Amino acid sequence: MFGRLQDRIVVFVAALLITVQVLSFFSIRYAVEVTSQNTMREELATGANVFKFMLDQNSQQLVEATSVLAYDYGFREAVATRDRETILSALTNHAARIKASGMGLIGLDGIVVADTLGPDTAGKAFAFPELITRASMLGRTSGIRVIRGKPFQVVVVPVLAPLPIAWVSISFVIDDSTAERLRRLTSSEISFIQRQSGTPQILATTLPKLRRRSLITGLPAILDEPESFKGASVKLPDDQYEILLQAVDDSGPVPMYALLQRSTNEGQLASLRIQTALYFILALSIAVTLVGAFRVARQITRPVSKLSAAVREIERGNYDVRTNLADRDEIGELSQAFDRMAQGLAERDRMRDVLGKVASNEVVTQLLDGRIELGGEERDVTVMFMDIRNFTGIAEELTPHQSLQMLNAFLTIVSEVIESHGGVVDKYLGDGAMALFGAPVTRPDDAQRALACALEIRTRIAALGPTLAERGLPHPQLGIGVNTSSVIAGNIGSPSRLNYTVLGDGVNLAARLEGLTRRYNVPIVIGESTRNLVREVICREIDKVRVRGRTTASRIFEPLGRREDLDALTIDRLGRWHEALEMFRTRCFDAAEAAMQDLAAVPEYSRIIELYLGYIRQLREKPPGPDWDAAFTLYDK
Amino acid sequence: MRAPPLLLALGLACAANAASLNVTVKDDKGSAVADAVVYAMPKVKPPPTSPRGAAIEQKDKTFIPLVTAIQVGTAVSFPNHDIVRHHVYSFSPPKPFEIKLYVGTPVAPVIFDKPGEVVLGCNIHDHMLAYVFVVDTPFFAKTDASGVATIDELPAGDYDLQIWHYALAAPQPAQALKMREEKAAAAFAVPLRIMPPRPAPKP
Repeated sequence: MFGRLQDRIVVFVAALLITVQVLSFFSIRYAVEVTSQNTMREELATGANVFKFMLDQNSQQLVEATSVLAYDYGFREAVATRDRETILSALTNHAARIKASGMGLIGLDGIVVADTLGPDTAGKAFAFPELITRASMLGRTSGIRVIRGKPFQVVVVPVLAPLPIAWVSISFVIDDSTAERLRRLTSSEISFIQRQSGTPQILATTLPKLRRRSLITGLPAILDEPESFKGASVKLPDDQYEILLQAVDDSGPVPMYALLQRSTNEGQLASLRIQTALYFILALSIAVTLVGAFRVARQITRPVSKLSAAVREIERGNYDVRTNLADRDEIGELSQAFDRMAQGLAERDRMRDVLGKVASNEVVTQLLDGRIELGGEERDVTVMFMDIRNFTGIAEELTPHQSLQMLNAFLTIVSEVIESHGGVVDKYLGDGAMALFGAPVTRPDDAQRALACALEIRTRIAALGPTLAERGLPHPQLGIGVNTSSVIAGNIGSPSRLNYTVLGDGVNLAARLEGLTRRYNVPIVIGESTRNLVREVICREIDKVRVRGRTTASRIFEPLGRREDLDALTIDRLGRWHEALEMFRTRCFDAAEAAMQDLAAVPEYSRIIELYLGYIRQLREKPPGPDWDAAFTLYDK
Repeated sequence: MRAPPLLLALGLACAANAASLNVTVKDDKGSAVADAVVYAMPKVKPPPTSPRGAAIEQKDKTFIPLVTAIQVGTAVSFPNHDIVRHHVYSFSPPKPFEIKLYVGTPVAPVIFDKPGEVVLGCNIHDHMLAYVFVVDTPFFAKTDASGVATIDELPAGDYDLQIWHYALAAPQPAQALKMREEKAAAAFAVPLRIMPPRPAPKP
């Protein structure tokens, strides 16, 4: 899917960075959420502390104010009258002084003398005897009590003259406006709640009507377990809230609570803003990451692509390509190494080119591969010597420059044909050449190749004739000698300058055979060993020769071509010639002479028959001994 | 509290067999109780006597003494030795009264004409406190620091011996007392409430 290195790098880098970014995004978002919730809880708890402090402070102030009020001499005088009406009107008067909701006088026996909140309670026991008890112990006290369904801060202080002569109870209603004042201080919605005969009720609250209704539905669960709601998240029908339940006074018979609450959504507005910013930052950083990853990948892969393009160029043979990347990193090093390699390859190619011109490809290859050492080995090689016999005659008609051009054209054709048949041009010898089949590379059909090569050279050179004739030049005469023998092949010379070649009698013989072409006026002469290896080519036996110093004579042949390339007449003449030759060798000179004279008119046979008629004349004059083998002795050139 | 010489002489004259009664008052932990008033109510009502006067001074914004025991009908004066004025008052039922801001000794002393406990305060000095215990008998005494009170010139006869203290946790039953000899002794062990101190505010 991501086959390209660039894509893989982009995907890897981007995936890595984006993973890190997304992870950190979620951790930060989690931290923000938790912090936001914790902050809300802390604020709520702080609010609750402020609330409690305010409530205590309020009650303390009311107690102080009430104490001062109870010390009022006129009030004490009124109390001392024991006249209920007087006392009641004094209570009303004094309650109004400190804006209390109500005020009552209770005897030291705990019986209500008068109470502005409930005129009917006179003569009855005070509703909150525990407050009196606490006041006798502490001197004065305060508590929150519900009177007729409404919560009141009830303060109880003694009337001192100067020892207590009665108790005064003053009540301050806790209503929505009290809650509202506290809300401003605590920044939380505040509700006073209590279970009244089993049913949870909101006694006073800052909540608007809708939220009030919503809270009522949640109240039973909250009041069932007040301890678990000292800081908790609660889902109410209208919203999610952080709530904190605070006992405001548990000295009464039914505990009363203040419930502080804040809407989670409203509290998290700041955190939502942070989250929005976080999303934006995440998107931005992912974009930057992608661009960055792409650029890094490009930076890495561009030189690699350039290198690979250069490698393809080299593959095509263009060694002049250079990457020229100046980077100082590993890729830069690679590129410089590559350039050096390309340069090396180019030099080597030039070298091969140059060497190929002066030596055969196979030899050059072995040289360049470093496989060539001084010394040789014995192997069977078919050696070919080739020469343009009348080149000098042609050259006389031309300028030296033109004749060199001509020679080069001949040798080019010859070299091409040799190489196309797997042969190796060993060296050029003036207007000729020496070629090897079977060294340095041995093939099973070296002799066949050599023969096929010789025949092709003959054809190609013959084809040149008409062209040359147009220019008034003589027809080129070719001489090729081929012989197969065991020779020493190897590098001969000194380590600094050596020459790959072959040495041996067979090599000399091949050279002699080439020389014999002139004598017999045939283009090609091959040795008996070659002829024995190449049976598919029809050959004309020419003679039997003995190299000087050797006892055995060997037969020599002229290859004519494959049977399918020869016409019937040629085959017939060949048969007659071989019969005549056989007669000659069996000393039937007269029959041989007659048979040969039949063929003497054929151009291909005229020269050879002339030679043989000469032999016969000499043999008649000087009949041969019994050891005559019909061989012609070759002398040194 | 010693009786003035005139009365003492009179007592000696009309009751040659008069004796003195030592009463020891301890609290329920056995500590001596000072400022307790013990008084003997004769079973047979004695001839009326004219009570002596008494004085409750104000010095350093304090009533001296803290506890004053008097017989019904006693005229009590309130000499003020401070340079500031005081407003002495009582809201106690036996004798509600007030003497508004004054210096020196008010012209008219206050006559306490009903028996019972009267708590005195000063309207401008909340910490000032004094008790007047009014008894309807000439035979009474107040314990000293060692918790002993001596009622002198107590004629032989039957009495109810009673005790009062401002910090009494509960009313104490009277002890029947038969005076026959020259010297007699009685003892009370009474539970007391702890009274919080009433320090003067620092100026």
